Amino acid sequence: MSATITNAEAVKDPQSAPDLSMIARPPQVLNNRGPLWVTDAVCSIVEGKTPIWWYAAISIAGTFAAIGGACILYMICTGVGVWGSNSPAFWAWDITNFIFWVSMAHAGSFISAVLFLTRQKWSLSISRAAEAMTVFAIVCAGVYPAIHIGRVWFVWFLFPVPNSYGMWPNFSSPLLWDVFAVTSYLTVSSLFWFAGMVPDLAVLRDRATTKVRKFCYGIVSLGWLGNARQWRHYEMMYVLLAGLTSVLVVTVTTIVASDCATSVVPGWHATIFPFYFMVGAVYSGSATVLTLLIPLRSLYPQLKDLITPSQLEKVAKLLLMMGSCVAYVYVFELFNAWYSGNPFERGAFWERFNGTAGWYAITCLSINLTVPQLFWFKRIRTCLPLVFVLAILCNIGMWFERFMIVTTSLLHDFLPSSWGNFHPTIVDILTATGTVGIFFTLFLLFIRFVPIMSMNELKAALPGSQPHGDSGHPTGEGHSR
Amino acid sequence: MSHHLSICGSKHEPLFAIGARFDNPDELIGAVKHLRSEGYSRYECFTPYPVHGLAEAMRLQKSALSFLVLGGGLTAILIALSMELVPSTLIYPLIVDGKPLNLLALPEYVPIVVALTLMISAIVAVTGMILLGGMPRLNNPMFAWDLFAKDASRGFFLALKADDKKFNSSAVTELLHEVGAGDITAIHLEAPDQE
Repeated sequence: MSATITNAEAVKDPQSAPDLSMIARPPQVLNNRGPLWVTDAVCSIVEGKTPIWWYAAISIAGTFAAIGGACILYMICTGVGVWGSNSPAFWAWDITNFIFWVSMAHAGSFISAVLFLTRQKWSLSISRAAEAMTVFAIVCAGVYPAIHIGRVWFVWFLFPVPNSYGMWPNFSSPLLWDVFAVTSYLTVSSLFWFAGMVPDLAVLRDRATTKVRKFCYGIVSLGWLGNARQWRHYEMMYVLLAGLTSVLVVTVTTIVASDCATSVVPGWHATIFPFYFMVGAVYSGSATVLTLLIPLRSLYPQLKDLITPSQLEKVAKLLLMMGSCVAYVYVFELFNAWYSGNPFERGAFWERFNGTAGWYAITCLSINLTVPQLFWFKRIRTCLPLVFVLAILCNIGMWFERFMIVTTSLLHDFLPSSWGNFHPTIVDILTATGTVGIFFTLFLLFIRFVPIMSMNELKAALPGSQPHGDSGHPTGEGHSR
Repeated sequence: MSHHLSICGSKHEPLFAIGARFDNPDELIGAVKHLRSEGYSRYECFTPYPVHGLAEAMRLQKSALSFLVLGGGLTAILIALSMELVPSTLIYPLIVDGKPLNLLALPEYVPIVVALTLMISAIVAVTGMILLGGMPRLNNPMFAWDLFAKDASRGFFLALKADDKKFNSSAVTELLHEVGAGDITAIHLEAPDQE
């Protein structure tokens, strides 16, 4: 170490350590907060009085969710004709929204699993909320596949159930892959989310003051004691689940992308689709993480030391990176359409921008090519209110992208006789806003009833929390790789 | 010299363990090493977060969970493949677009195999963690100790169980004092509910 010291101060005094503040990582928790403060800060959100804004927010979100539910019921009772989906756009807002939501989920898995495995400790305090976002987004996505088939009571045909017709699903169909991919994604991410929460639920159980709370948290914390044996299995499980979830980050969107890519429709039939869907997924999910965490941090001031501007800035950088990948794919897709020399491919892309539904694609590109690029500027990245607005814009852009891919491609395929247009109905629109309502209702319940941060992981990473000679170095992680 | 030993639980019920609290993980690990050298083996450590080096000091084995999950994953691959191939090739051969049903068709069965393998492995991992960790459990004798039951997230606890071969209440109390433990308490079982 001393051989590399160059500054004059250090040469004068060989005992003094070199100034590492430039390369030291920013602290995980600001203001030198201790483990007890972390516990109190996180638990106080669940234990404190329910704030007024929470009631207001859940009433609004719940109303939208209820209207969405009523629309779904109406659709089931009447038929898919109540949607705007019709020849040639048999897939419209239903599959657009499905892909929009299931993709958004990916950033949560990325943050909680991939960043955990790569030991990016900055993600510790936001990973629980990101996982919750994942689970709730998959729930919203899960609304559509079952109902879009029209006759919902035949949904069991999707599963390989031995039946009296002697009929089995077609396992070679990407639509069936979808069923398994989404079921598996929902299961794994819910388990990852719940299992990671068990030790923290036990803390809430120990701190509970009323019998009802003690009982409820006692049941969900499964009798966790925090003994060395439990921690040993828990840590192993966490690594394993992080590994499994990391695979899901890649496979689920790949499979969803196959729905389009394995068909012959111009605008869908492209090998870049899995990558296209995945980068878009992490892009929109990072935007959602920012959209959720920035207000959360203002509403609960005690979280300001836990969700630090530096962490949010890193999420913004992730958004920038994925946004740039998305921009690359847009350009490459257009290039490919031209370079293929295929008149149908060229026609589809020409129509995508100049056709009757062209404004969808133009909105998508004008947002997604510009807004994330603003995050190159540190001043913009660190201005949280601005980041909040831009992140919402990114998600709007992503919704238009999903629509552009799914529906505008269908509007213009090989036969001029089957070219058409698509107009959403009020049921389409209210079902879509209903899923947004479901998402926020679930997220608000999450904030209120379970610890929104992994207290045990945060405490384990605090300076001085680990025995001496082990990794919890008091000056942070800057020294060790 | 005899030290004060507080009692919790019901005095008339058998002694479960002697508990002690430490302020930091270093003291806890020191105490574990001391207990081991004295020949005690029936003890448990409770920490609010995983403490590096504690499992090594306690000589705990590597968690068997990874092997369970590997087994679960391999089983899942077999289940998924047979679930797909048996109906598609034997029970209800479905020829779409003239695509083959033989081994050449294997790639199209891969996505479902991946999805199911991940799902079943994750279920095994979580179930395994719960069962290997001695859960789910509604109550535990340790909860008789109020300090532990209310504040387990605040300290580093150690419980030396009464069924240890070398167990002797006063010797253990003495030993725990030596290693700097606080709040040394005899944890008795709770009287059965009279309600």
